[in-house]
Amino acid sequence: MATLGGTRGPIVAGSLDLFVRNATGLVRSWAAFDAFIYSFFSINLVTLGWFEFTFGPGSAPGGNLLTAIVISGLLILAEVAVYAGLIAVMPRAGGDYVWQTRILGGGLGFVLAITGWVFTLWLWVPIYGEIFSTEFISPVCTILASITGNHTFVDWAINSLSHTGYMISSIVVSVFAAAVIAAGMKIYARVQKFCFVGGMIGLGVMIVMLLVNSHADFVNGFNHFNQKIFGVKGAYAATLQAAAKAGYTPVPFNKLALGGSFALIPIVIFFNLYPNWGATLYGEVRGANDFKRNLQSMALALIVTTALALITLILIAKVTTDTFYNDASQTYWAGTGSMPVWPYPGLLASFLTSNSILQLFLILSLSLWFWGWCGTVFLSSTRVIFAAAFDRVLPSWAATVNRGVPTNALLAMVIPGLALSILYSYNIWQFQTVILDAVLVIAVTFFGSAIVALVLPWRQKRLYDQSPIAKYKIAGIPMISICGAILMGFLGWNIWMWLYNSSYGVNNQTSLKFLASFYVIALVIYLVSRYVNNQRGVNLNTIHKEIPIE
Amino acid sequence: MFRIFFATDVHGSDLCWKKFIAGAKFYEANALVLGGDMTGKAVIPMVRGARGETRVELMDQVHVLKDEAAVQAMETTIANKGYYPVRLDEDQLADLRQHPERIDALFTERVILRVREWLAYAETKLAGTSVRCYVCPGNDDAFAIDPLLKESERVCLGEGQVLAIEEQVSMISTGWANRTPWHTDRELDEPDLGAKIEAMATELPSTTGWVFNLHCPPHKSGLDDAPELDADMRPKYAGHILAAVGSTAVRAAIEKYQPQVSLHGHIHEGRGTSKIGRTICINPGSTYESGNLLGAVVDFKGAKLADHRLTSG
Repeated sequence: MATLGGTRGPIVAGSLDLFVRNATGLVRSWAAFDAFIYSFFSINLVTLGWFEFTFGPGSAPGGNLLTAIVISGLLILAEVAVYAGLIAVMPRAGGDYVWQTRILGGGLGFVLAITGWVFTLWLWVPIYGEIFSTEFISPVCTILASITGNHTFVDWAINSLSHTGYMISSIVVSVFAAAVIAAGMKIYARVQKFCFVGGMIGLGVMIVMLLVNSHADFVNGFNHFNQKIFGVKGAYAATLQAAAKAGYTPVPFNKLALGGSFALIPIVIFFNLYPNWGATLYGEVRGANDFKRNLQSMALALIVTTALALITLILIAKVTTDTFYNDASQTYWAGTGSMPVWPYPGLLASFLTSNSILQLFLILSLSLWFWGWCGTVFLSSTRVIFAAAFDRVLPSWAATVNRGVPTNALLAMVIPGLALSILYSYNIWQFQTVILDAVLVIAVTFFGSAIVALVLPWRQKRLYDQSPIAKYKIAGIPMISICGAILMGFLGWNIWMWLYNSSYGVNNQTSLKFLASFYVIALVIYLVSRYVNNQRGVNLNTIHKEIPIE
Repeated sequence: MFRIFFATDVHGSDLCWKKFIAGAKFYEANALVLGGDMTGKAVIPMVRGARGETRVELMDQVHVLKDEAAVQAMETTIANKGYYPVRLDEDQLADLRQHPERIDALFTERVILRVREWLAYAETKLAGTSVRCYVCPGNDDAFAIDPLLKESERVCLGEGQVLAIEEQVSMISTGWANRTPWHTDRELDEPDLGAKIEAMATELPSTTGWVFNLHCPPHKSGLDDAPELDADMRPKYAGHILAAVGSTAVRAAIEKYQPQVSLHGHIHEGRGTSKIGRTICINPGSTYESGNLLGAVVDFKGAKLADHRLTSG
């Protein structure tokens, strides 16, 4: 970008000239790397990926994790294109809520957005809590037990995975996430960058350890530390025997298992469906370059995460064998595992060394993936609450800010989140089986935006034609519509699978009642709001409707 | 009931101005208030080539336009986005490159032309109605537009004035802002901005409701959260980090005088409402470049604020 002189500072961009005067808000584009980090953390390999990889194959035993990860990753690229496109057409608009209310109508838009960006995050609180227990408290205590020989740490490592352990972890998650919102993104962004660097170093160390050690090293280490810490003899062989006894025969990583792997995808997207999570925050899109930057940031995050998922799984299989890894996961969830704590890949890798400091470093550095990710559980939710309150669909007190803290919006997240944490942690009404509901509700919301993308060039023709993506067409059809259709197909298929196949735990009575309650509550809120506003002479339709020019 | 439709920061967007005027009927408003930054930020050259084609770069994309219809359609697109299309040949473009000071004159010429068009549009569309329209140039607006606004019969220039916009509602306005990194036309140090507001506020009649139409939002109100920039004027952390950049003088004035409502703009990302004491503060934000007019409807019953809500049209 060259600069011409002049009192008003005109500048030149691109091959032709664009004369720009000094005016507020004329800034350079944000760094693509920053956007990449946010997206990268949203589809968090360590917290979401590794957690999901242990229960996925057990629920869809005919599938290969690697195949499912690759296929789902490729299809989710359509989602990346849809969201980058929607941001380019309606920048700074506020994401799904605004896109859907404007294109699909106020009622449908509100119901889809509030369920996917607010209600379902209540369920994510205990899921985050469970991940905190399994990937932080339990492995840290396990290593401390090994270092100190103090059996109290063993008790803590095991008890953190109990009902009360999950509940305490859910409370910690809620407090930490609320504190992040209260402190502001300014501080947390720095925390995230530190966590990104530290977490990547930890992952790098783990990869090196997996590369330089052999299968025999792992068997010896696993047996040694299980006996030392938990008093379990021959833990490796016992794990395989327990799985064999249960009749579990996992699909080897080197077998494509295409058909069976499709059945794994509705579980795999528990981890990789959200590269667009921070996309609506990326600021002003002024042209095609900004659109491409958004697209590339999200796509790169998805591609790098997919690659890292494959690399880590293959390397884990190298030292542990894929059979053992799947068996250890399956037997843990079945309660028949030889090792009494969750087979966290970081913990398994730590058994490859007898250096206590390295073990502790590995577990703590990998935990940075959690800390850099955990704080954002409420971030987007509070923004949607604000947007709905500004539209008068939610009462204005929902958007109240006290000393910079969105107190009421936070309470609207924390209180229901803790209530659901009780149900989830103590498995009341078999509530832990509804874990994939947390993804389903988000997928339904994204499905709404996929419809928006499909119809946008026709429903908002002027807006679309004047956007930087209007030139992108395939066989004369707008690219955003094609990607919208692909995404609709992908999400629609997943939703159908969740509702059709009982192995996902979504179509049981508890789950269906739970899901229905979300949508009914959202609809009731909208209808009551519409009635109240009508009584006050406010037509909610005019709030979203484009002003006609005569 | 007395209803105000407020919008701000249309930044030269033809479409947004037309929607603003149409907003009177659509939202059944008695008065239109535009909060500042009326004028655009860029001139887009449309360069005629040797073969009669016209090349134009918009949104990082080069368009080659074959005929007059396409050129006119592109001019409309550019104007709707808030920019100023200028037809040039290669020689004229080269001349501008060599004499950048002439760009200044070109900007002023185009800004004045569009403001004239807008005023004429408002005259036509609001004719026969009782709707009053108030505008107040913001920190990004050149002083050259003020005389045009003063001359208008239908559109009232609010800057520096105490106006009775309704029998029981008075409004003060200023488009001046605190200092920005861009050194724009109407910026003041905080004490001077405070004095400017104070001079108007002391003249407000105590028997009416008060509207503060101050372009710059109050400091730390949540309405002034803008992406924090690094030394290279790049948003930090992909725009996720926000900083309060509003005016402490505006905040102090609101805290002191407690108007029923204060209307703001300036920070396009700062869409929302906030409360300072008893005052409802509103920044509807701006997405002018997409032609979507963000606004706010404010209802008075007598001298009291009855209702308010943000709009997106």
